[in-house]
Amino acid sequence: MILTSANTLTNKEIIEYKGLVTGESLIGANIYKDLFSGVRDVVGGRTSRYEEELEEARDIAIESMKEKAERLGANAIIGIKISYDNLGGTMGNTILVTAYGTAIKYE
Amino acid sequence: MKYIREAILCILIGTIAGLGVYGFFLYFHIDIYGWNLGLIFAPLAAGYIETILANRIIGENIGAISAFFLFIYTTFYSFILKNPTLGFNIITIGSIAVILQAAFPTSVNYIIFSLGFGIASYVSGFFKKVTNHVYNKMLGYYEKYVLKEPRMLDLEKIEEKANYEVPIFNEKESNDNINNLDFYFLTSSDLTNLKHEAIGIFNTHAIIRKNKKLNLSPQELENKALYELKKGKDECLIKLSEEIKSSGGNGVMDLEIQYGLIGLGGDSFQINAIGIGVKLFS
Repeated sequence: MILTSANTLTNKEIIEYKGLVTGESLIGANIYKDLFSGVRDVVGGRTSRYEEELEEARDIAIESMKEKAERLGANAIIGIKISYDNLGGTMGNTILVTAYGTAIKYE
Repeated sequence: MKYIREAILCILIGTIAGLGVYGFFLYFHIDIYGWNLGLIFAPLAAGYIETILANRIIGENIGAISAFFLFIYTTFYSFILKNPTLGFNIITIGSIAVILQAAFPTSVNYIIFSLGFGIASYVSGFFKKVTNHVYNKMLGYYEKYVLKEPRMLDLEKIEEKANYEVPIFNEKESNDNINNLDFYFLTSSDLTNLKHEAIGIFNTHAIIRKNKKLNLSPQELENKALYELKKGKDECLIKLSEEIKSSGGNGVMDLEIQYGLIGLGGDSFQINAIGIGVKLFS
């Protein structure tokens, strides 16, 4: 499965547009993450726990999108858009990760 | 000290009046985006009535102490007893400690205790259990000595909570529904390989109010939010396809789906679907 944020696939012929595929996941409140990231806010540095969570959430969203594309019989997803949105929550750290794109079949 | 009894009476009447006002606002759900206006008007009414009485009886202002009581009560009731999320929130506990410190400067040493207590409470949920226990005890006394009979339980609410389960979003069904609309959803902004004609820009949105009435845990609330967001996204896309179809199109290009918060204190989710409506030729 080819995943690309480009509008088309170079040197490949798109033979069918299969449809829209989306994937979403949410990072929620977590006491340990909140406490340690709070400490990091004070002392500085990278909050690796957050980075790991974001990566994990992004992977879930992309995987969900890929599964749907496979179900549609596609072999690539083009025009992929990934976004991270803060949706408030207990400590203002509920983050929605979304991935969506156009599932296609190419030759 | 000469008018101590009169002053206490004024504070008491002010406090009772403030509680009455707060009860009125709660009973009639006078809210703006879920934020009860009683939080403002109850302390105001308490302080106002106390000051008027004190001026008439004693001849001087006694400092609107009842407004302070109402402030503590409304904050405690609204943000801790009635709100499970904030009940575990260290910021709320810290705020209460600061309020107490402002009122009783000599008890500044207790801040250290409060901080330790707050962290312990955040971890264990101890404070919430204590407040629940105190609230239920007080309610018991109220039923025994004031009502003289057990208060009727809100069975409907209890049943609603007992039967409530966060629904599971059917991803496959959702995807099939969206892709069986006889409509092309294209995220690409360049359709040079497809013969098409642009119709114009289209934008639809869905607003979803967060439901805080059910006493759900933060995890359940997050699952519910994700479910609502996915449902809202589908609604937006279906609306977008309908609008474009009614303008003679059969697809959308450069599709963008945006999520955000709207309303006072971000009490609602907003989902937007934006794209260029197109007519695709086979």
